[in-house]
Amino acid sequence: MTSSSLARPIPRVSLNWLLIAQALVIVPFALHVPVALIVLWLACSFWRIQIFRMRVRMPGTWIKSGLLVGTAGGIYLARGSLIGLDAGAALLIAAFILKMLEMHNRRDALVLIFLGFFGIAVGYLFEDSLLWGLFTLLPITTLLAALIGLQQSGISSKPAATLRLSAKLLLQAVPLMLLLFLFFPRLEPLWSLPQPSNKALTGLSDSMAPGDIAELSKSAELVFRASFDGPLPPRNQLYWRALTLEQFDGRRWSQSSRAQVPDAPLWRREGERVSYSVVLEPTGKPWLMTLDVGQTDLAGVRQMSDFRWQRRRPIEQSMLYSVESWPDAVRETVLSDGARLQALQLPAKGNPQVREWAAELHRRHPQTDAVVDALLSYFTSQPFRYTLKPPALGANSIDDFLFGSRAGFCAHYAGAMTFALRAAGVPARVVAGYQGGELNPDGNYLTVRQFDAHAWVEYWQPNVGWRSVDPTAAVAPARVEQGLEQALAADEDFLADSPMSALRYRHLAWVNSIRMSWDNLNYGWQRWVLGYQGQQQLQVLGRWFSGFQAPVFAGGAAVILGLLALWLFKPWRRESDSQLRLFNQFERLLARQGLKRQPGEGAQAFAQRAAGQLPAHAGAIRDFVGEFEAQRYAGGDGSVGALRQRLKCLRRSLPWRLSAVRGKQS
Amino acid sequence: MGRKLDACLNAINEVVLGKEPQVRLALTCLLGGGHLLIEDLPGMGKTTLSHTLARVLGLSFQRIQFTSDLLPGDILGTSVFDRDTGQFTFHPGPIFAELVLADEINRATPKSQSALLEAMEEGQVTIEGATRLLPDPFFVIATQNPFSQGGTFALPESQLDRFLMRLSLGYPARSAEKALLLGESRRDLLPRIEPLLDHAELALLQQQARQVRASDALVDYVLRLVDATRSQPQFAYGLSPRASLAILSAARAWALLAGREYVIPEDVQAILPAVISHRLRERTDPTGHGGGALVQWLLREVPVL
Repeated sequence: MTSSSLARPIPRVSLNWLLIAQALVIVPFALHVPVALIVLWLACSFWRIQIFRMRVRMPGTWIKSGLLVGTAGGIYLARGSLIGLDAGAALLIAAFILKMLEMHNRRDALVLIFLGFFGIAVGYLFEDSLLWGLFTLLPITTLLAALIGLQQSGISSKPAATLRLSAKLLLQAVPLMLLLFLFFPRLEPLWSLPQPSNKALTGLSDSMAPGDIAELSKSAELVFRASFDGPLPPRNQLYWRALTLEQFDGRRWSQSSRAQVPDAPLWRREGERVSYSVVLEPTGKPWLMTLDVGQTDLAGVRQMSDFRWQRRRPIEQSMLYSVESWPDAVRETVLSDGARLQALQLPAKGNPQVREWAAELHRRHPQTDAVVDALLSYFTSQPFRYTLKPPALGANSIDDFLFGSRAGFCAHYAGAMTFALRAAGVPARVVAGYQGGELNPDGNYLTVRQFDAHAWVEYWQPNVGWRSVDPTAAVAPARVEQGLEQALAADEDFLADSPMSALRYRHLAWVNSIRMSWDNLNYGWQRWVLGYQGQQQLQVLGRWFSGFQAPVFAGGAAVILGLLALWLFKPWRRESDSQLRLFNQFERLLARQGLKRQPGEGAQAFAQRAAGQLPAHAGAIRDFVGEFEAQRYAGGDGSVGALRQRLKCLRRSLPWRLSAVRGKQS
Repeated sequence: MGRKLDACLNAINEVVLGKEPQVRLALTCLLGGGHLLIEDLPGMGKTTLSHTLARVLGLSFQRIQFTSDLLPGDILGTSVFDRDTGQFTFHPGPIFAELVLADEINRATPKSQSALLEAMEEGQVTIEGATRLLPDPFFVIATQNPFSQGGTFALPESQLDRFLMRLSLGYPARSAEKALLLGESRRDLLPRIEPLLDHAELALLQQQARQVRASDALVDYVLRLVDATRSQPQFAYGLSPRASLAILSAARAWALLAGREYVIPEDVQAILPAVISHRLRERTDPTGHGGGALVQWLLREVPVL
């Protein structure tokens, strides 16, 4: 495009598509940018259409400057900054909207189109689901249509044809896209990827008050999905460890300072192995969920002293990892003094009743396991209730819970049991994580959501090591056996944050089956498209190129090359007429000498020209063409063999060349 | 026979100087049994060419100067009352010659033009109820001046279609013109030309021309050419089957002149401009003379093989 064509006005068809494309680019941002921007967009579009209809004029310099300053100021007020992902995206969208108003010529339209493409890419930072990926095809197609429309003259343009062409271009780009997707190396960003502020709101945190996990049960947000290589372990063994809480201040359990020190614990593999892979949604936290005791060779991830797996950086994009777990492993038969002290830590004061009761238990049952059994039997024998809405507890919260209200959620039971164990001199800690998950029969994988969040207890004894115990299972076996929704079927607070969630209608079989299939599709997208990077890419490529698969790979390459060759040489279009076929060979022979026959040039005329250019071979050329003409036009009875013979003579006499000589053609 | 044709060509070229291609085409046209339209300015040698052709081929020659008051009777002839016999006797008009030169045909009224053109097509004329055969062979060479259009009646497309070829002589080359100026007067030269062919030989040559072989492959090329005029957007309308026949018979005569017994695509290409440029119109300019450019396009773009 020359500079003069850049200054030409914008064709009508391009403007139409540009307006539509703008709407398609902006609409998905509606939830992420200030509402005022949407109003601004509607107003600007209306203005632009009025300009197009020649009802109003283009805005003057003062109005434009005012709009610019006002919009930037508004974004600063709304977002408190002009830096950062949210404010940046808002600024980008504002520029995208305002540019439409001052669009005079093709150069401006080009700027607008490229801004639109950039806007779509920025949108991927906010949303990377399958549905969004498919939706972005729409604005991309319309932006392409606008780009094509920009190159058309005002008269000949047809909107539908332009759109069809752009859709065709997009389709043609698909093979290249697949190729790049498969082979292009995924480079780690040099800087940390900015996160939208409204993401990763809910989830486990590094401290837990009794009501925290009950809060999580209101959310049906996806935490992770897991596929098992072998059969699925029974549901009551699906304890997904995130972290342990070892420090108690009388009300709140939190991570101890020891847990931050990287120190791989000692453990011994025993029993059956379970292997599975997990696609973890962004949590904003560094923990990976694993079954006990997990082992993974993922880069940048290490096992901490409490058997949790932790990444260096918080998880801000969904990630895929595979784990092998030994549920029956023996963990830390010897405990260091520091660890022992931490596992026995109790606040100096408070909850005297429990302390007394625990001391009594300790006296009665010298064996650690007996203490645990006594505690569990206390939970089963007394009228404990499992509820999302326990009554408020006083200052001695554990006393009140164990001997007063007797109603609580998993965090209450885990906290109380750990306290009692510690008071009885048994090293113990609270484990926070998720329990269970929903099996998707379509894809044979587990879906774990926020409401599956759970807390349970680990206690330690010499020579045996750590053991897990779940007091909630004693109180409400349904929670562990069937899941939270069964255990709390009557509780209104369950899923209170998701009134429209399809999970609420799971008793309708068809809704449930659609939900499962859709979830399966999304899982595939997560796993095979978004998760296809880094190690997984290397693995897949490695598998293809490895010795075992080499024949398959070579076969595939041969098939592709064969198809390409068919497409290039088109044997089905091969001349059936043997005279013409030989003449084509003759032409190719001369083409290598730099002589090309024009379509309207007859054999005789071509032969004369060729003889003039190659006087040394004039005789052979005339011989061949003479025979060709005699056979083709005079109806002579010469055989194809005679013609082939003359072609052979010519070929022998000509100097051998592989490709055409340039500059010889006159 | 081939040598006789060459001798004819040489004889004509001695009188009409420096116009070998046009002379060759004119002879081709006559061998192909078609009529010839020459479009040019006055004084370019149209009459000389026609006259020479008549002399060399041993044909009787008549010339009709077309004017706006020319009546059909002036061409065809009229019946005149003979006082001696008391009967009407038919006085044949100038059309009853073997080679008729219709000079400045576009000056006459359409009525007179069509009298001539009907005779050309039918090979016979019907006057006062009696059908009279025209001599055999019968050729018409018509001329028109395309440049001064005042008081003329341009031939409609349907009439143009009846001419096998349209030629334009053009200015002679410098050397030819010098030879013309230095040499004898053409008018003196003409009577001295000896006929080189008699009627039987001419009829035989025409017969031979019709028998020149046109192979399947060649006819396919002609069809491709004709198809292109019918399917490509720049043509206002396509060629008629009469035009296809004209191309083929002209190409055959051309091949015969070249001493070949079969037609090759180059023969078709040689006669194509003369045969079809007056039958083609550009879509963007249906009244103009864009035929030449269209023929060049056909020659360039339509695949020969």
